[in-house]
Amino acid sequence: MSAVLHPVRFVSGRFQRWWQSRLPLRDSFTLTQRTVYILPTRPGFTLAATLLVLLIASINYQLNLGYLLTFLLAGSAMVGMHVSHATLRGLTLNLIAPEAQFAGASAVIGVNLANDRNTIRHGIGMSVLGAGHWVWADVPPLGVATLHIAFRPARRGLHLVPALTAETRFPLGTFRVWTVWRPASKVLVYPAPEPSAPPLPPGEPKSGGAASALHQHSGEYDGVRAYRRGDPMKLVVWKKVAKAGELVSRDAEQVQRYELWLDFAQCGAANTEHRLSRLCAWVLAAEKQGLDYGLRLPGVEVKAGHGEGHKRQCLEALALC
Amino acid sequence: MLKRLYNLPRDSRDTLFLLAVIGWVMLPQITRLPLWCSLLAGGVLIWRGSLALQSKPLPSKWWLLVLLVLTVAATFNTHRTLLGRDAGVTMIVVLLALKTLELRARRDAFVIFFLSFFTMLTNFFFSQSLLTAAAMLIALLGLLTALVNAHMPVGKPPLWLAAKTAGSMALLGAPVMAVLFVLFPRMAPLWGVPGDAMSGRSGLSANMQVGQIASLALDDSIALRVRFTGATPAQSELYFRGPVLSSFNGRDWQPLRANLPGRLQMPTNLRTSGEATPYEVTLEPNNRPWVLLLDVAAAKPELAGAALAAPSSGLVGAPVSALSGVQIAMTSELQWIADRPFTDLARYSAVSHTRFRYGPTQMQIGLQEYLLLPDGSNPRTVALAAQMRSAPQLRAANTPELVNAVLHRLRSGAYSYTLEPGVFGVHTADEFWFDRKEGFCEHIASSFVILMRALDVPARVVTGYQGGERNSVDGFWVIRQSDAHAWAEVWIAGQGWVRVDPTTAVAPGRTGSFARLQAPQGAIASVLSGVFGAVNPSLLANLRATWDAVNNGWNQWVLNYTQTKQLNLLKDIGFDSPSWEDLFYALLGLLVFVSLCGAMWTLWEKSRHDPWLRLLRRARKRLIKAGVVLAPNSPPRSMATRLGAGQKEIGEWLLRMEAMRYSRTQGNHLLKLAGLQREFSHLPWPKPVK
Repeated sequence: MSAVLHPVRFVSGRFQRWWQSRLPLRDSFTLTQRTVYILPTRPGFTLAATLLVLLIASINYQLNLGYLLTFLLAGSAMVGMHVSHATLRGLTLNLIAPEAQFAGASAVIGVNLANDRNTIRHGIGMSVLGAGHWVWADVPPLGVATLHIAFRPARRGLHLVPALTAETRFPLGTFRVWTVWRPASKVLVYPAPEPSAPPLPPGEPKSGGAASALHQHSGEYDGVRAYRRGDPMKLVVWKKVAKAGELVSRDAEQVQRYELWLDFAQCGAANTEHRLSRLCAWVLAAEKQGLDYGLRLPGVEVKAGHGEGHKRQCLEALALC
Repeated sequence: MLKRLYNLPRDSRDTLFLLAVIGWVMLPQITRLPLWCSLLAGGVLIWRGSLALQSKPLPSKWWLLVLLVLTVAATFNTHRTLLGRDAGVTMIVVLLALKTLELRARRDAFVIFFLSFFTMLTNFFFSQSLLTAAAMLIALLGLLTALVNAHMPVGKPPLWLAAKTAGSMALLGAPVMAVLFVLFPRMAPLWGVPGDAMSGRSGLSANMQVGQIASLALDDSIALRVRFTGATPAQSELYFRGPVLSSFNGRDWQPLRANLPGRLQMPTNLRTSGEATPYEVTLEPNNRPWVLLLDVAAAKPELAGAALAAPSSGLVGAPVSALSGVQIAMTSELQWIADRPFTDLARYSAVSHTRFRYGPTQMQIGLQEYLLLPDGSNPRTVALAAQMRSAPQLRAANTPELVNAVLHRLRSGAYSYTLEPGVFGVHTADEFWFDRKEGFCEHIASSFVILMRALDVPARVVTGYQGGERNSVDGFWVIRQSDAHAWAEVWIAGQGWVRVDPTTAVAPGRTGSFARLQAPQGAIASVLSGVFGAVNPSLLANLRATWDAVNNGWNQWVLNYTQTKQLNLLKDIGFDSPSWEDLFYALLGLLVFVSLCGAMWTLWEKSRHDPWLRLLRRARKRLIKAGVVLAPNSPPRSMATRLGAGQKEIGEWLLRMEAMRYSRTQGNHLLKLAGLQREFSHLPWPKPVK
């Protein structure tokens, strides 16, 4: 359909994708003559038109000083073109391996720009290709500048870091000098946690537990009792403390009698992504409450447990499901 | 105050800097622009500056629209047009000033830069002196600095950093400028330029406003060179005729109906007598179509160079092409005019008669136009004429007697010749005759003609050059811009138009001798000469001589760089008969040469990559060709381990390479590397396998 409506855009889009797919993947990228592109900008064309008008005025009014002005300006613009190109040429871009992210949340990619020249490189901007949110840096002589490029991963899974672009218009803004870089690193994207997820599912009785029938449908994990000396801080229900004004602890015995299983098959959402999203929210909620929890996904099962490592394991399983 | 400037936020600082540069660009113009325009531009810049200082918001679009409409109306009111040079300059300055109030987006900034470049160019309409060039160079550097600064998005970089980049760019751009300036073909104007295009520049003008020739008298550049092939007339007879100005509007003298077809003009009725004077003229380019000739050339002058003997002043070989096809014709006022302006050196030969008569001998229709004076103009002069008419000895006087009476008044009335008469008011003739009693040829001729017209004598002003000096070395007469002159012609019944030079009555030395008036020194110059003169008189003389030489060099090499000089340069380089196209070839050749240099540079830059790595890569390539299985980035040691038994020597060489790279001893690496490179070619490399 789009091919019919916008044939030019369609063809150019296809071309861009084809061309980008030919770019090699690398985490360290030294810019050379072959990878730095340059084209005049709109002000560049305006400057050319200005120069033409100045030249015609000099001819028509026979102003030799006008010729000098025109040619000096033209010469400076020409030098500016080379300065612009040299600003990027020879620069080395190094990717700082990105952290895992949640889909839909804004994340950052860190890039080190290393300058092996003993002159400063001004006004280098970087952005995710096509995003248009630029961050700018000057790279000091024989030094390194670090840029943090924001991006918003759309889908969960293990993805390549998006193609990045570096650009400069220094010094006159008449030329756009840019490069396109496809980093080889991958970034793990967890599912986006469901914004207002339902409460955690009821626990399942531990196999062989006697009291299973009794509490089967209570589903409450906020069984509490008064604080006893020696209760771990994790068990203090701070929300209730704030309301009641006295310390309250979770009924650990009750917790221990049940096992919380976050099950893909029984989480009650419509489609796969929605379910994963809900599971993700539950994992975060359970971890926050200090519960032990396990995760059952089609083909994958993570044994019950808690802690940062456990959480990451669960989230990775969710991301790669 | 300084600290406050230093601590300004970046936006404000950048804006103030840009405003300062724009002010500098406009500064040379303010005296030439209409007063309201200068005031408006200055006011707007100051307003914008204060907004920036206080970080206040910009005025709304409606403000701008109202201001724009008002200024366009004012421009039209001042110039009676929106086209042409002067109106254009006013408009550009106004637009530039107003645009600063709209400095929001990046696009606006670019518009300001480009308008500023135009404004810089407009300065050259009025002056191309060394001083103007220096001022505009500073302006260009300022604009480039602001532009570079605008493209440093990070933090608040100091301005000098941007200035450094801009300066180095201009410095590196200067060779490009020099090459283009020397080789870019100079051509004639692409289309006709408006009539006001050339005023204010050296050379005669198509009209005459009080004060214009005063500035010419200070200009020592050469207008034309003349070589008399026969007898040389007396210097007092060397009148070179330029435009004849007959129409007076109270302020300017203009040519009278110059555009009328020939049959409607008055008959020339030229009668020459006496000895003919043949001569050759080399006319410097003046962007005027006037073929300057000695009064009066009855026969059509012969243009172009082939038949002429080459003058010895180095101006050999004016290209025939530049002048071929030029048509020249004589006006009814005896001026010879070409159909296009002389933008390059022109040479022609002519024959003149210094004794001649022309014009109608009897009073006829058309002559009364030479009696017209605007109503209410110069009332005291008109009264003077009436008083003279009523004086008993002049009551029945004929025209020659009246002329003599006025000349007598000039001679005996304590009138004097000066180059600095000051600015005259509305009634220039009144001021000259009664108040100031001093002026230069233009004031004198104008006042004389006005008085003659008030006396009912048809009269008009003729401009041109008078005098000149003979170069004793080559015998050429050199007529400079400082020889520009204005004289009068009165119509006498029975004789026709007769030349009267009232200036000779005031200052006999102005014509007839070599005594050119020296331009008086300005206040600063006289203080300086006092100071330096007291310390070391010869130092002052040296300084002045140096300045003259620099100025002359500037005039010769920059301002008078014409197609002739271009082609002569090509000839010196080695072109046999250089033409217009050859300039393009030279430019093209240079372009190719520079591109080749660029390619060489790239190669060299590439070769600067580590020579050690290159050597290792060569060795690896040899081994891989010979069938040794190696990773594309294998280090020397792992390469050595893969070698067979018969290749011990190569293995040792590789290990030595490794040692050289990673050993602690800091010997001369390059020297060691050279040794390894030499060994490379002697090693028993295995045969490549197919």
